[in-house]
Amino acid sequence: MKKKRRLVIRPLRILKHLILILVSFVSAFPFYWMVSAATNNTADIILGHIAPGNYLLQNWRTLTESGRIGPAFYNSVRNAVLLTISSLFISSMAGYGFVIFRDKWKNRVMGILMLSMMIPPAATLIPLFRMFSQMGLMNTVLGFMLPSVATVFLIFMFRQAAQTFPQEIVQAARIDGLGEFRIFLKMFIPVMRPTYAAAAIVTFMNAWNSYLWPLVILQSPEQLTLPIYAGSFRGGYVLDYGAIMLVVTISTIPMLIIFFTLQKSFVQGILGSVK
Amino acid sequence: MTTHAARKPAGLERKTARKGWLFIMPAVILIVMMSFYPMVEAFLLSLQTGTGNNLTYKGFANYERLPKDNTYAAALGNTFFYLIVQVPIMLLAALVLAAMLNDRRLMFRGFYRTMIFLPVATSLVSCSMIFLQLFTSNGLINSLLLNWGWITEPIPFLTNAVYARIVIVVTMLWRWTGYNMVFYLAGLQNIDSQVYEAARIDGASAAQQFRKITVPLLRPIILFTTVLSTNGTLQLFDEVRIMTEGGPGTGTATLSFYIYRITFERVPRFGYAAAMSFTIFVMVAVLAFIQMKVGESKQ
Amino acid sequence: MKKLFALLLTLALLLGAVGALAETTITVWCWDPTFNIYAMNEAAKVYKEINPDVTIKVEEVLSADCETRQTAALSSGQTDSLPDIVLMQDNSGRRFLDTYPGAYFPMDGLVDYDNFASYKIDKFTSDGKRYAVPFDNGVAATFVRTDYLEQAGFTLADLTDITWDRFIEIGLKVKEATGQFMLVTQAGYADFVSMMTQSADFWFFDEEGKPNINNNPAVKAMVETIVKLHNSGIVKEAVDWTEYIASFNNGTAGSTIQGCWIIGSIVLAEDQAGKWGVTNIPRLDIEGGVNYSSQGGSSWVVPASSKNKEIAVDFLSKTFGASVDFYQTILQSSGAIATYLPAAGGPAYAEPHPFFGGQKVFEDLMSYSDKVPLVKYGVYNYEARDEIVNAIEAVFNGATVEAALNDAQSAIEFIME
Repeated sequence: MKKKRRLVIRPLRILKHLILILVSFVSAFPFYWMVSAATNNTADIILGHIAPGNYLLQNWRTLTESGRIGPAFYNSVRNAVLLTISSLFISSMAGYGFVIFRDKWKNRVMGILMLSMMIPPAATLIPLFRMFSQMGLMNTVLGFMLPSVATVFLIFMFRQAAQTFPQEIVQAARIDGLGEFRIFLKMFIPVMRPTYAAAAIVTFMNAWNSYLWPLVILQSPEQLTLPIYAGSFRGGYVLDYGAIMLVVTISTIPMLIIFFTLQKSFVQGILGSVK
Repeated sequence: MTTHAARKPAGLERKTARKGWLFIMPAVILIVMMSFYPMVEAFLLSLQTGTGNNLTYKGFANYERLPKDNTYAAALGNTFFYLIVQVPIMLLAALVLAAMLNDRRLMFRGFYRTMIFLPVATSLVSCSMIFLQLFTSNGLINSLLLNWGWITEPIPFLTNAVYARIVIVVTMLWRWTGYNMVFYLAGLQNIDSQVYEAARIDGASAAQQFRKITVPLLRPIILFTTVLSTNGTLQLFDEVRIMTEGGPGTGTATLSFYIYRITFERVPRFGYAAAMSFTIFVMVAVLAFIQMKVGESKQ
Repeated sequence: MKKLFALLLTLALLLGAVGALAETTITVWCWDPTFNIYAMNEAAKVYKEINPDVTIKVEEVLSADCETRQTAALSSGQTDSLPDIVLMQDNSGRRFLDTYPGAYFPMDGLVDYDNFASYKIDKFTSDGKRYAVPFDNGVAATFVRTDYLEQAGFTLADLTDITWDRFIEIGLKVKEATGQFMLVTQAGYADFVSMMTQSADFWFFDEEGKPNINNNPAVKAMVETIVKLHNSGIVKEAVDWTEYIASFNNGTAGSTIQGCWIIGSIVLAEDQAGKWGVTNIPRLDIEGGVNYSSQGGSSWVVPASSKNKEIAVDFLSKTFGASVDFYQTILQSSGAIATYLPAAGGPAYAEPHPFFGGQKVFEDLMSYSDKVPLVKYGVYNYEARDEIVNAIEAVFNGATVEAALNDAQSAIEFIME
């Protein structure tokens, strides 16, 4: 009986591995192609070479020639880090507040806030631009950050996570005479580290990839960000695809670093937030 | 929650409730200023017609114009095509992959998970460019199919509207399936493995376990990802702009793409674009509401 | 934590602060380092000797991004962010000039327009005023593999001054002899829609700017020609720009009919040196059809919000609008072909081009430049083109030309109403 069961299960297991290998291959191949193309020149990419070439140095020189890649990389990292920190702070505070001090008014407010993520960004861009340029926020990091510091998605995520946070801890801390804000800082944040990791990945990813808003609000060349820099390679009458793919490859590195360092926590973090 | 509140003296409760607003206010003020204020402006704009800054109030003229606009109709149709085809396939694939990877005895589990998450790290621009290269008429996919003798002529993946829509769906599947899978994997870790053991002893097949245990227990997460993906798909924009520019003709254009186009790439009719944005707003809101109701009623 | 947050905000503000600009700095937006940015920097050198107090600061901004930023600035009334000079696509000219009246600085009387090809000037003329200094030439030409022609028994002369029907005949023979496509275009034939229409001295709009599509002989002939090309099998329809360039770089296609700026991409295939030739484009077989047209190209405009607009125009008129030598320099290093007619007399334009078998390519292109029909561009150029491309797609799928063009006419009327 036992022997027979094994025989039934084995082919299933092999099938499972076959499917997973196929999916992994499909997922990873375009990624490989991107890295490989970064080492080829335009002619080879256009002619469909898949193997790595030896133009990496030349492509790198093309990028460094104008001296813009360094500042663009720095600006992108700075913007994304500052936005991630402030966004996590403001949004988690709100998510915490909605649960710990829950009442029917706050629930209604949350419901109304949900509406804010349903409008396409292209529609609010011009009103926002007018407001920001009147306030003198053009070419400032603050101008870049403000529209996405508080997002409903993050508030929602932290609100869900906060529901698993034991009220008893809050009560006990209050009795010990801790202020409400200290309770949030000292008790909530450390416990919710996984949720913060998950939120950090999502926020960093969005900030890192954003194009339209930085394009209009960060116009000075000193404020150039990586996606806009990468775009500039697609502008000429003659395109340098090797250089484009190298920029694109470089711009995935920070995402990979963030993902791999936070991966473990990410899995747990989402667990907390969707329970 | 209510039990805690009941134990507290009423005065203290009011005081802490007030303190609660302090936690919420920074975010609320920011969202009101950065989202609701521009939304009101956009709504007022949607009641005006004209080009550039030469605008006049015309009531609901823009909204009345929408049903007569063939490009709008095409974009609406395409958007719903993406929604109906892509979201279910993606979520189902993500669920199945998550269920497969949930097996603790599975070898190379971490490796598979990392590989499948890899696409999430690529930027939208690079992802679109990669797929464009793969699917051009002398791209890798056509070359392989030709070599294997499966086809005799290259498939016009991006110049035929139906194929082009499918390629865009494939691109989105590639980029977002892993992302959603991680949500499900996280949820599955929540389910006691003994539940599956018991089911196996009762003779339930893998498919039955998936249907009877995995899906029902993950319902809240499935709802969460469904609402998010619906919103994302209805606002789909970057892939279309980079890969097909909405073409051939209006074959792959989405509503967000059309809004962007008449705001920035054609004679700007801001009022009309704003009116179109509000139709998306209403659709997302209605769909999210239905999904929440359906999701909750079956719980 | 509050202190930390305040610190972060201050830090952000400090990091974001911009330095003040010197009074005599002219800021310029353009997008191609080897082409227009190069030309602008060369012009800056020329002007430094005329007016040493002025510094030209070139900022690299993608063409589409230039338009997005101008739209954001002009529609919100916050124009401080705009530069002193912007390079603008010719096709977009009327759209910005007419949508935002007063937003750009008219240059009549400040620039000597007699020296420029008139088809260029017209693209930035609104309400009788002229708003731009023309830059690169968009004159169209047939760029063809002469070795392919030879294999089929033809010469470059056989491709000169011909009709599209003759082009298709030759193309079929070339395909038979070489096994390669005769021509490459981007799918949708959008470039041909405008190029062919203009070559018969018509446009998508009439003199009053009303859409003129379903009763327009040139548009009808154009659509029929495109359908013939599509059905003949001699055209490689490329999905995107990469594939377009690849098709002639790898020899899959034997010719491209395009604005002359395409040269930069053709000469990339060094192994094909000596195998190329240039001639004028095929004509539509209707009354007024000629073998000359234009496609693409761009011009310099000055936003009216610029605090240094007089200096900016002075700079443009004394460099791009007055210096034959300057055009020799930028032609040699970047292949930027002028629309400044006197430049054609300079020595660089008379040089034989080795890649094109010693043909004096630039001289020839400049001679076409003068013969391009002068059509009245409209505000809705792109919209009209979109609708005609849709109509052609419908004809490919079985609709009649007449019905499809009627639809296009009402669609564009709907947009403009």
